[in-house]
Amino acid sequence: MNWKRYQNEIIVLGALLIMLFAYMYKYNHTQAQVEGATKSQQSINELKEAAGLKKIWADKNINKKITVLKSIVPSSKVTWIKKKQNVTASYKGLSASELNKLTSKILNLPIEISLLNINKVGTVYNVELKCKW
Amino acid sequence: MSFISKNKDLLLVHSSMGRVDLPGSVNIMLTPEFYTLKREELPVKYAYQAKKIAPSLFDGLLEDGGVYEYTVFKEDGHWSFIAYDINRITTFLESKGIRADQIGKIYFAQQSVDKFSKPLLLGEKKILNVLDNTVVVVPRMSVGLESDSIDTLTFDNTFTPANGGVNVKGSSSDLLSQKQALTLASIFILFAGIFIVEGMRYSGGNGENNELASLYEEYPSLKSTYTRQGIIDKYRTINKIERKKRDIIKSLSGMIFKGVTLIKVDIGDQNFKAEYMCKTPNAVKHVKNLAKKAHFHTSNTKEKNKLIIEGTI
Repeated sequence: MNWKRYQNEIIVLGALLIMLFAYMYKYNHTQAQVEGATKSQQSINELKEAAGLKKIWADKNINKKITVLKSIVPSSKVTWIKKKQNVTASYKGLSASELNKLTSKILNLPIEISLLNINKVGTVYNVELKCKW
Repeated sequence: MSFISKNKDLLLVHSSMGRVDLPGSVNIMLTPEFYTLKREELPVKYAYQAKKIAPSLFDGLLEDGGVYEYTVFKEDGHWSFIAYDINRITTFLESKGIRADQIGKIYFAQQSVDKFSKPLLLGEKKILNVLDNTVVVVPRMSVGLESDSIDTLTFDNTFTPANGGVNVKGSSSDLLSQKQALTLASIFILFAGIFIVEGMRYSGGNGENNELASLYEEYPSLKSTYTRQGIIDKYRTINKIERKKRDIIKSLSGMIFKGVTLIKVDIGDQNFKAEYMCKTPNAVKHVKNLAKKAHFHTSNTKEKNKLIIEGTI
């Protein structure tokens, strides 16, 4: 085969191959970047979620914050038992407004509610609360 | 391509021709001065098979130092082999003002042997004639054509053979001319350059990495994927359940309005139960609708206008 006769075609083919290799180079780098970005974004989301969850449910100040459930009503109406990270509280004779205040506080504290029992006796309310954190 | 080539003018090239000035490309017909002919009867069917053995047929017949190429065609039951030095031909053509890109196809006079029914003048001293079915160049004197009134052929495009013909490098019959090839190659190389530059740009850093780095700085204890996953696994369930409990309490609170009194609520780890006392049947209906919207289960008790709402967490 006389290669010289096809010199022009060989030049074009060679240039075409170089372009294809260059395209593959770009494609690989683009893919690598997209994969890297996806992985980074996944890590960011994971990290943000972990940080957010930890901030809410592993709050180191909760030991102090929980005492508000004791002080929110007159002490005569509360029986308070705290063991490590567990609280059992019994409220007797709460008015409607006191009950509202108490439930609002319970809802806004990052605690795990194991039991919440509300009973209306006459015009007042008795509340049993068991929670942990 | 061959269709285009056949429409071109045919130019007879011989050693005594003068310089020409061509406006476009032409097909070339070479006289025997530029090739060596050999006929053989071979038991082969196809031209490509015959072409394979062409070099061996010309052993010792060709001048040393030439780079020879071969073409084969069939004539009256035997194979005609033509050996030619393409470099010598193109050099000669260039010396006569015919560039490679002006050459369509190159034919050999032997391919149109039937057309040479009479002698054809090649300048003043030579003629192209047919002897033993072979086109040859002979001195004009040898056939006695010395008078101006001799009966000779006029060369024209009708001498173009129906088949065959060879291309030369850079000729106008090539798939691509040199100019086109260089243009295309330049475009491809330009694109290659663009792709490489883009590829290099993509290999650089990005915004996500910077954000991740700053988050790592802020939360060094969460650098490890295992740590993060452990925290997420531990607190995601708690978060989901506790939020649901709080949503239930909010929904139950929303069912207290004028004429409806909450008398009991019991929320545990798995399920909940609430009791409401309503003053009118309409209030019962309204509470039931609210409970239905919140996807809670409702039931009546023996006590009139007392409603129980329950569900799972």
